[in-house]
Amino acid sequence: MTGEKGNKLARVIPEESLNEKLASEPQLDKTSQNRIGDQLRAMYDELMQQPVPDRFKDLLEKLEKSSGEKAK
Amino acid sequence: MTPEPALREALLAAVPSLRAFAISLSGQVDRADDLVQDTLLRALSNLHRFERGTNLNAWLFTILRNLFHSEYRKRRREVEDPEGSYASRLKVQPEQGARLDFEDFRSALAKLPPDQREALLLVGAQGFSYEEAANICGCAVGTIKSRVNRARFRLASLLNVDDVDDLGPDSMTRAALQGTG
Repeated sequence: MTGEKGNKLARVIPEESLNEKLASEPQLDKTSQNRIGDQLRAMYDELMQQPVPDRFKDLLEKLEKSSGEKAK
Repeated sequence: MTPEPALREALLAAVPSLRAFAISLSGQVDRADDLVQDTLLRALSNLHRFERGTNLNAWLFTILRNLFHSEYRKRRREVEDPEGSYASRLKVQPEQGARLDFEDFRSALAKLPPDQREALLLVGAQGFSYEEAANICGCAVGTIKSRVNRARFRLASLLNVDDVDDLGPDSMTRAALQGTG
């Protein structure tokens, strides 16, 4: 328990965050930012619209049934 | 742990987002589906840890993201050059019947370091706030902002979206001059 806590504390400040200073980085202009954003969302929306594979419905139903039976 | 019907509906409703995130993050549909399945199982066995009234999606994304990274670290120990193999695997896509478009964009996305890719996906695609994304990734808000910024910049230059000209020949000449001088 205490060991786990110690680990978490040690990870609070990831090393790379020390090097990631926003100020020193180049910024994209708004137009390019928007174009990237539009393409990203279009790609993502297409993935979101894919039908949910049956395995997930089955999984949740099965879990519900089995825990319901156990409760009886 | 009995998932009450309302919760089961909520979990099922989260699946499309979780899949989109997992596919974009891992670049593989079948691996993404395994990730989503493991996420649901872990969520169900840890339901007592979920604080009612807080954002279920954010909680699920945190689980998925952590699973992805522990798997990624495991693979990294097993196989060198995970970045290179990620990019080449992506070319074998699409599969499983569903044709995946946006090939150029997806392969550019695959070239980003995983931490930048996930930050961009969480904020730019999934629509989490910088604060939510920082919580999900367990890092500072500034770190997320920086990663998103870098990811956009890198994508723009990979896709030739823009006038990233100040990174073009001029800066290369400058670098060369500095190198020889």
